[in-house]
Amino acid sequence: MKVLKFVAKRLLMSIFVLFGLSILIFLVSRVLPGDPVRMALGPRAPEWAVQNMREQMHLDKPLYVQYYYWLSGALHGDLGQSLFTRRPVMDDIKEFLPATMELALFAGLIMAIFGILLGAVAGRYSNTWVDNTVRIFSYVGVVTPSFVFAILFLLLFGYLLRWFPTAGRLSAGIPRPPAITGMVTLDALITGNWAALGDALWHMVLPAVSLALGGMAQEARITRSTISDNLRKDYIGAARGFGVPERLVMLKYLLKPSLIPTASILGLDFASLLANAFLVELIFNWPGFSRYGINAMLRKDLNAVSAVVMVLGIVFVIVNILVDLVVAGLDPRIRLGAERGK
Amino acid sequence: MRKLIFLAFLCLSIVGFGAIGLADGDRVLRVSFSWPTYIDPAVGSDYSSSASFVNLYDTLVYPDVDGSPLPHVARSWETSEDGLVWTFHLRDDVLFHDGTPLTAEDVKFSMDRITTIGEGYGFLFVGRVQKTEVVDDYTVRFHLSQPFGPFLTTLYRLYILNKDLVEANIKRPGPYGDMGDYGKEFLLTHDAGSGPYMVKEFRVEEELVMVKNPNYWLPLDPETPDEVRFIGTTEPATIRTMMARRELEISDQWQPQEAWQALDAIEGVDIASFYAGTEFYLMINTKKPPTDDVHFRRAMAWAMDYQTVVDHIFPGSIQARGPIPQNIPGADPNVFQFQRDLDKAREELKKSKYYDQLDQLEVEFHWIAEVPDEEKVALLFMANMAEIGINVKVVKVPWMSVVEEMAQLETSPHIVSVFDSSHYPEAGSLLESRYHSSSAPTWEQNEWLLDPTLDAMIEDALATVDRKERFAKYAEIQEYIVDLCPTIFLFEQVEKHAYQSAYVDWPTARGEVNPVMGYNMAARFIKVYPEKRQELLGG
Amino acid sequence: MAFWKRPGFQRRWDSVKRGWYKFSKNPVSVVGLFFVLLVSFLAAFAPYVAPYPEHAGRFVNFSEASQPPSLKHPFGTDVFGRDILSRVFFGFRYSLMMGVVVLLLVVPPGVVLGLLAGYYRGTWIDTVIMRITDVFLAVPPLILALAVCSVLTPSVFNAMMAVSLMWWPWYTRLVYGLASSIRNEFFVQAAEVAGASRSHILFREILPNCVSSIFTKMSLDMGWVILIGSSLSFVGLGAQPPTPDLGTMVADGAKYLPDQWWIAVFPALAIMITVLGFNLIGDGLRDLFALEEV
Repeated sequence: MKVLKFVAKRLLMSIFVLFGLSILIFLVSRVLPGDPVRMALGPRAPEWAVQNMREQMHLDKPLYVQYYYWLSGALHGDLGQSLFTRRPVMDDIKEFLPATMELALFAGLIMAIFGILLGAVAGRYSNTWVDNTVRIFSYVGVVTPSFVFAILFLLLFGYLLRWFPTAGRLSAGIPRPPAITGMVTLDALITGNWAALGDALWHMVLPAVSLALGGMAQEARITRSTISDNLRKDYIGAARGFGVPERLVMLKYLLKPSLIPTASILGLDFASLLANAFLVELIFNWPGFSRYGINAMLRKDLNAVSAVVMVLGIVFVIVNILVDLVVAGLDPRIRLGAERGK
Repeated sequence: MRKLIFLAFLCLSIVGFGAIGLADGDRVLRVSFSWPTYIDPAVGSDYSSSASFVNLYDTLVYPDVDGSPLPHVARSWETSEDGLVWTFHLRDDVLFHDGTPLTAEDVKFSMDRITTIGEGYGFLFVGRVQKTEVVDDYTVRFHLSQPFGPFLTTLYRLYILNKDLVEANIKRPGPYGDMGDYGKEFLLTHDAGSGPYMVKEFRVEEELVMVKNPNYWLPLDPETPDEVRFIGTTEPATIRTMMARRELEISDQWQPQEAWQALDAIEGVDIASFYAGTEFYLMINTKKPPTDDVHFRRAMAWAMDYQTVVDHIFPGSIQARGPIPQNIPGADPNVFQFQRDLDKAREELKKSKYYDQLDQLEVEFHWIAEVPDEEKVALLFMANMAEIGINVKVVKVPWMSVVEEMAQLETSPHIVSVFDSSHYPEAGSLLESRYHSSSAPTWEQNEWLLDPTLDAMIEDALATVDRKERFAKYAEIQEYIVDLCPTIFLFEQVEKHAYQSAYVDWPTARGEVNPVMGYNMAARFIKVYPEKRQELLGG
Repeated sequence: MAFWKRPGFQRRWDSVKRGWYKFSKNPVSVVGLFFVLLVSFLAAFAPYVAPYPEHAGRFVNFSEASQPPSLKHPFGTDVFGRDILSRVFFGFRYSLMMGVVVLLLVVPPGVVLGLLAGYYRGTWIDTVIMRITDVFLAVPPLILALAVCSVLTPSVFNAMMAVSLMWWPWYTRLVYGLASSIRNEFFVQAAEVAGASRSHILFREILPNCVSSIFTKMSLDMGWVILIGSSLSFVGLGAQPPTPDLGTMVADGAKYLPDQWWIAVFPALAIMITVLGFNLIGDGLRDLFALEEV
């Protein structure tokens, strides 16, 4: 019950935030002069057709009325037409979002698993060469933009060593599994298409690792410092003194509580991961939502731009709530509902 | 912990899947393109769109390699004495992809649709075709509002749509009244044609997959591709990898100079290069200060380093002579040509009313982000202009945004660099689409000449039915335009494509170059030999 | 008495010396400081230390295009025949300018809003400021900055404006947290009782206690802002050619991978070094002040 109440409260706050975001992005998207209808129909379209469409899109009304129509449209899943793909933005999102979510989830997994693993090892053996190596890695990881990683990996593993493909989601000869979720790996798994699954994962490695490294370094750093702090605490010694098996000490008494700070920044790291996907998808020609978003921005395709920002806002709200739940699950001291943060 | 290690192992073991996904015996032709590809004939008019129309649709007449019209869906035609009425007799054995016959009704519908929507190649017909009349099932008649000499060749761009199919897929309400959206949403991802290929799958910004039409009314050689894929990427690194892995048969033409050498070095890959009547223009806005001053424009034309462009940036190209590429019928071989001469440039600049304020002025130069080599031209231009004291600001702009900003005079930059080619093989096409007032808001004209004298000259020439007389008028117009110096006519592009010469037979590469944009990509003339491809892959 | 002999100054000077001693004992921060000084030096004296300063501007020489690293061009040349080393030196200028300008624009309003919201915690002032902050923090700054840039003409100036517009909430949030706990401290209440003015309490009592956190965050943020700036140029929404911006150089070079690898790789490494330097210093400061929140 507490969980439900907590989720409900967070959702309510989030709705407020999203509402504010919608006003912000609506204003940004209307700053630009120009006639979106003329642009959509082309310069030689007859004036009567332009007029018809302008009325259908309510563009002849004042700004706040336009906002009302835009918002109510958005709530009904109508985000307008993309100038570039010339179809409803919603269709574009449905097509491109799964590819990005797939990549981001895969990268998020790599980030969390390897970040914690590296941090735990470094913390356990703090001030040894292992620790120092991890520390150097995490400095480099944190400061390197993911597009730089992407380019270096592309050069090294894509061209020089030729271990991984350099672009796209699937090799040319592999038929794409039927789109059930839109995520190729998941679809392949569902349909038992092992060749496609392997190929899709193989295509995902370089972009996902480029995306994951920054966050991974961050997680490793934090896990390391909490673990090495906690290692020195009395209760670990006490547990060992009571003869608790070493593996249990490590996992239950050391690792689990040490993950709390790590988990609480997972949300932020995931957010920056999605932001970086904007650049990395471009480099690996990943046909995803972020590449769509960046192209929309470059082409001033404003319906698409505002939709992209709103969708990301919603994704982040959900991720943050999930992260809070995970943290609460790890730490019995945190009561759900109490305000976190500063 | 063990689970974690297992997961880590799983991630690493993916490396092992390296070798899958290649080599199958399909007769497939894959061509790379820059997106967008609009497969709706009333919307698209760029290279990839045109290439898709050629494969999906049929036209009344078909261009021969010299540009002259051959009968196609029309068996024969006749024109009235005054050149105002054109009657076409259609074949009765042409079937659409859904099996229904192509009739005069469909031709009328296609003409009405493209003239109403007015996008794509619609400008060839808007205001020119007054009425389309269905005489009987297989006879159609066009009534023109004024005589139009090259009318027959413009019909290469009237792609015939299946009326019933489109009407069944109209979305209402839409901007076009009773016709709703005129089937625009449907035709964005589907075809309604009768052509040798039909759409199998259309993935926005990714790929257009077409398969051979088994019931095509003309015999198709069994060695022509069973499947044609237009792949929406021009990323040089990607193109090169795909070429090397034989995952791409013909490349796009937008590769940077550095890439061609690398592509040529791949075994079994050759570069096809030909002049397809494309010219590269620096379109100068003639209404915005300071480029509204003819002396200022001439100074720029004298200062430009043409030789470096054709030697280093686009090797193989030749410097352009006036607005019309020399292999287009009606080009004037005697029109004036600027050469780099800094003294003359400075002289002209002194005559300009902006001479005293050069240091406060800035000329904005926009180049197309999708074509990396244009940046070299932009920076060369910037360096050249700095020599005579003109400040240039270079801006990289995606194609879609350029199209948008060129739609209005206020947002049009001082200079845009654009490739353009004729829509039908005659000088009149470019003269009209580049310099007539009606084209000012399109991407084909950044000059905004809006010159009534010129408009009248162009209209008069196009209305001249006698070919010789018409060509004389074209020459006069070319001289008039060059004198205004609204454009720096940089070079005639040599169009290059890398292709798998070891297992693809492409007539264009053999020198059978069709001068109408898109027709060199007609897959029904291209042969693919998958056995030879497999040999390459095996060895 | 000379000002350096006054006891107040002496005391501060001593604490600075102590701080510097502690800071310099940390090898990590010293390395960071070294990088930052190096980058700043190269940026400041780019016209003198760059072998071909004219290559940073309106210059093309196609006969020397795409040459691999050599003694003449240690980082090679790009497809326009320009010396990459020289352009990297000038590129540092734009990166540093991006960081400095954005922080100068962002910190004062961000801090003031945070102070106000923290001091008036629980009132409508708090609610209004912090809810607006939440809206801006709902989406990563890079994405909002990209969206804002997309409606403006791309240029270095507009990129800085867009990043600034998205960056102030981080300072508001930081200072809000600090201020709302400091205002319950005894000395603040004492000042209130003594009848000190609002501005005295905000800027003289609360602000000085936030300064170490703010500085540390600024040092870390220098790195992040430079990163975001180069990301904007990377996609083409920031600096325009021929501006020698590091992000733009990486983006241009990426087109010529793998053969002309040097065009992208050296500017990429230059970004790494710059960001690394500021981050290491930030880390050193954090340890020095024993801060946790930043």
